[in-house]
Amino acid sequence: MDKTIEELHELLTNNFVTSKELVEEALKKSYEVNKKYNAFVTILDEAKETPVSENLLSGIPFGIKDNYSTKDILSTGSSNTLKNYVPFFNATAVEKLLNVGAIPVNKTVLDEFGMGGTGTTGHTGVVKNPWDSTRMTAGSSAGSACAVAAGVYPYALGSDTGDSIRKPAAYCGIVGYKPTYGMVSRFGLFPFASSLDTCGVLTRSVKDAAIVIDNMKGLDKLDMTSWDSSHIHLYQSIDGKVENKKLCYIKELCSIENYENPTEELKMHLENFKEKIKLCEKLGMKVEEISIDQKLLDALPSVYVAISCAEATSNMSNLTGIIFGPRGEGKNVTEMMMDHRTKGFSPLIKRRFVIGSYILQKENQERYLKNAQRVRRLLVDTWKNLFKTYDAIILPVGSGPAKHLDASKDLLTKDTKVLEEHLQIGNFGGFPSITIPDGFINDLPVALNITGNCYDDENVLNIAYALESAMPYKNQIAKEISHE
Amino acid sequence: MSRFTSELVDELAEKLLIGLSPEENKMVLDEFAIIDENLQKVEDIENIKNVEPMTHCLDDFTFSLREDVVTPSIPIKDALKNCEKIEGREVEVPKVVGGEN
Amino acid sequence: MSKYKAVIGLEMHCEFKSNSKVFSSAKNSYNEIPNDNIAGVDMAFPGTLPVVNEKCIKDALMMSIVLHCKQPEFMYFDRKNYYYPDLPKGYQITQMTEPVGRDGYVEMECNGEKKKVFIHDIHLEEDAASLDHYYDTSCIDYNRAGVPLVELVTEPCLHTAEEAVTFLETMRSIYKYCDVSEADTKKGQIRCDVNISIMDENAIEFGTRVEVKNVNSFGGVRDAINYEIKRQSELKDAGRYHEVEQETRRWDEEAGKTIRMRSKVDAIDYKYFVDPNLPKFKIAASWLEEIKQEIPLLALERKEKYISEYGLSEYDAGVIVKEREYAEYFEECLKVGIDAKTACNWLTTQILGQINEKEITLKEFYLTPNLLKQIIDEIKKGTISSKQAKEVFYKSIEEKKEPKTFISNDMTQISDQVVLEEIITTILNENKNQVQEYKNGKDNLFDYFVGQVMKNTRGKANPVLTKEILKEKLES
Repeated sequence: MDKTIEELHELLTNNFVTSKELVEEALKKSYEVNKKYNAFVTILDEAKETPVSENLLSGIPFGIKDNYSTKDILSTGSSNTLKNYVPFFNATAVEKLLNVGAIPVNKTVLDEFGMGGTGTTGHTGVVKNPWDSTRMTAGSSAGSACAVAAGVYPYALGSDTGDSIRKPAAYCGIVGYKPTYGMVSRFGLFPFASSLDTCGVLTRSVKDAAIVIDNMKGLDKLDMTSWDSSHIHLYQSIDGKVENKKLCYIKELCSIENYENPTEELKMHLENFKEKIKLCEKLGMKVEEISIDQKLLDALPSVYVAISCAEATSNMSNLTGIIFGPRGEGKNVTEMMMDHRTKGFSPLIKRRFVIGSYILQKENQERYLKNAQRVRRLLVDTWKNLFKTYDAIILPVGSGPAKHLDASKDLLTKDTKVLEEHLQIGNFGGFPSITIPDGFINDLPVALNITGNCYDDENVLNIAYALESAMPYKNQIAKEISHE
Repeated sequence: MSRFTSELVDELAEKLLIGLSPEENKMVLDEFAIIDENLQKVEDIENIKNVEPMTHCLDDFTFSLREDVVTPSIPIKDALKNCEKIEGREVEVPKVVGGEN
Repeated sequence: MSKYKAVIGLEMHCEFKSNSKVFSSAKNSYNEIPNDNIAGVDMAFPGTLPVVNEKCIKDALMMSIVLHCKQPEFMYFDRKNYYYPDLPKGYQITQMTEPVGRDGYVEMECNGEKKKVFIHDIHLEEDAASLDHYYDTSCIDYNRAGVPLVELVTEPCLHTAEEAVTFLETMRSIYKYCDVSEADTKKGQIRCDVNISIMDENAIEFGTRVEVKNVNSFGGVRDAINYEIKRQSELKDAGRYHEVEQETRRWDEEAGKTIRMRSKVDAIDYKYFVDPNLPKFKIAASWLEEIKQEIPLLALERKEKYISEYGLSEYDAGVIVKEREYAEYFEECLKVGIDAKTACNWLTTQILGQINEKEITLKEFYLTPNLLKQIIDEIKKGTISSKQAKEVFYKSIEEKKEPKTFISNDMTQISDQVVLEEIITTILNENKNQVQEYKNGKDNLFDYFVGQVMKNTRGKANPVLTKEILKEKLES
């Protein structure tokens, strides 16, 4: 299971391994990984092999983030509000994968309903980083990132509202791909912030990401924001030819001079990034440094919080324990709903709801929500303008390797660096965005991100593929560092 | 603009049908102070009020409205399978009194 | 009658017709079996998404056009957020930022006078689930959740309960003419909120506005308005107008009064915001044009036409346009060649009498204009009398057979001069005394002879010819 999808398919078609053996191995690994890192809500012991067809995904196990609705399989969103919820329908993306013979073997832990970036707020507990179990995986696709990095299977589904695929992929040394908004149907994905939520995948190679999304994408009658991408063939279009492609990076984020008292890790991370810029140039791409209005950049994290909290407050109003989820106690319906929600949601989510609710108040909407939505447009327009000149924007992910678990509070603090949050722009504009590992700091993986214009996924993946091929991190499996 | 106070936080939470502990209340206030400060800066952006708020992610793709065709109802056993209190074919709750909105 | 001027505004909610619901493809129809017309999104299962029904948008746009409103460039929806057990998502999808229509008007006729009612806005939204209440529990049926609902908000430009009810009736007629709704209050398809304030006749500023929620019949609207005008006027008369609060009340149909629900200060903040799941849909000018073409002539327009072009009386025209199907039946009659007045007479008397008595619709009525024409043609030809025509009419609808089956030779009028002369001669011979009396000046006996002829022929004698022959014979 430490192979790529292409390799596994090859082995399956030539009968060097059977689908049944893969499933058994994936299940066995699931138990090991769950014991060590707590990555799964459910392990599907009853998972069965499927016939191997021409489809590259047939016969191969995979993982599903637990905020995807799965028919007859517990789907919790890692929340106590849905701790006993067994849907009667599959998310469209899941259904499509089942139809081609892909085999789900587990449901992975997330930050409750995807609201959080640490992997520590799921109702089943903290997910640990397989490179260093004292560190976080980041989130919210924590279990998926952990499992793919640990070699349980070649891919797992994720969802990305701010950076929920791309950040944990970075911390776990794997690939995280968020396609253009609407390319994959959101039907059956438990919503966090509908205007930002995107289905995507975590893999260990760019080609694998292309293969999986090729099979997940498509116009869905059940999601009005989905669009017809039948002309897009991600896997086929990858040829590694990137000569004369133009990239840019943002000076304000990438220059060490812009940071007061930078940590050693940050210095190494940015230096490593500069080296990768040189690598791009070596591959025949042109890379330019550009500058963005600092005021816009500084507003970014708050714009994200404002928009995502506002939408989330409303999106999760259906969680009352009336039709599904455990019933609360109380003399009347209101008390009953309140009991369900008070007990069911973690403190983090509750706080975000209150903020979202405040922002949505009639008298505050102009100042908070509408202004946030205005800045969103300014940022997106700025980015779209860049895409007129550049094929993609390349940036480092986060400020270094995975953070320590005990330092995690997942609070927005005043020194939150835009560097930690810039991936959110990909969600603001619906841009295709992919994170790939680009090196190590103290034996822990770090990553870079490539983001392109909407509908230009083929181009983004191709650039990522070319870079990946020029670096030694493709299909790497986590090697846990020793603390002795 | 109403002041974002501890009382207001509790009131908002109550309306959201969630209870907050005093610590949680305090955390909301702290977090919000940062958001407020950051979005305060937004007001300084030139012509910000002339920008149309971006409410949807994409507004340049084609889609069609749904044709008025019926699909079969979801089976009752599916609809009620996760419901902890049912009465016949319906979802049961403690008696609802008073009008809505 | 109050000495104050009342100012009334209405919010009229009406369930619209469609095969499927407005945001899901579950069936939109009343169903006795609870939870039998449901899709996942109607019960807000996590991950389900709303998908807009084209027909609902089209019908709402049609109403927007009919009401002379401005249509927005893009169609999109907002969420109205509140918690209630009949609202599974915790929000209702409605239109706030860009309603389907704004700033329009509709003309109505109240007491023979035309009046323009100004429309603040018209918007498309979804209905909530229904609650059945029991002793200490309530049960939720989601069949109604997601049924298309169109809300119409008038400006505060109405002044009497009668105007308000006339407005509602006008709107119901428009909805039915346009075939966008059954608009049946008995089925709970129309629900109203009423805003009422009073002011001195010449005052400029409006009084304190009271909102009465959830009035479910037109009679209720009338009574609620009159009750509020009286209540507010009495307080004002007593110098206690300050006790009239800006508040929300509800109409208690049984008690016949309004009851306070909450004050304005406790108004709910619905936290409206644009629903990101429903992308902005560009309303093409060509589509609006197409919709415009489909709008039928409405009641008032038809009424005017019937009076001016066909010479019907105000009253008759009013009866015919009352329902679109009446008007259509009438127009079909003209099309098949029945003259307007005859069609009007048959329709307003016999036909409407029949469908009212049998409680059927005109669509279910057996005798189509084509069949009706068979009867009318025979009268014209003089082959049957109007009395016989009625018999044929009833037999035909009774047995559901074409009228011509009942117009047999046996029924046909006796119009043969020779045959009639023979009969009349016999009768006169048998009534020699009466003939003498007639000749002596007792003129009213003429009808007696006609009666005898009719009796003898079982009513089949051609009355005109009978009279001619009688006159001739008696005066010779």
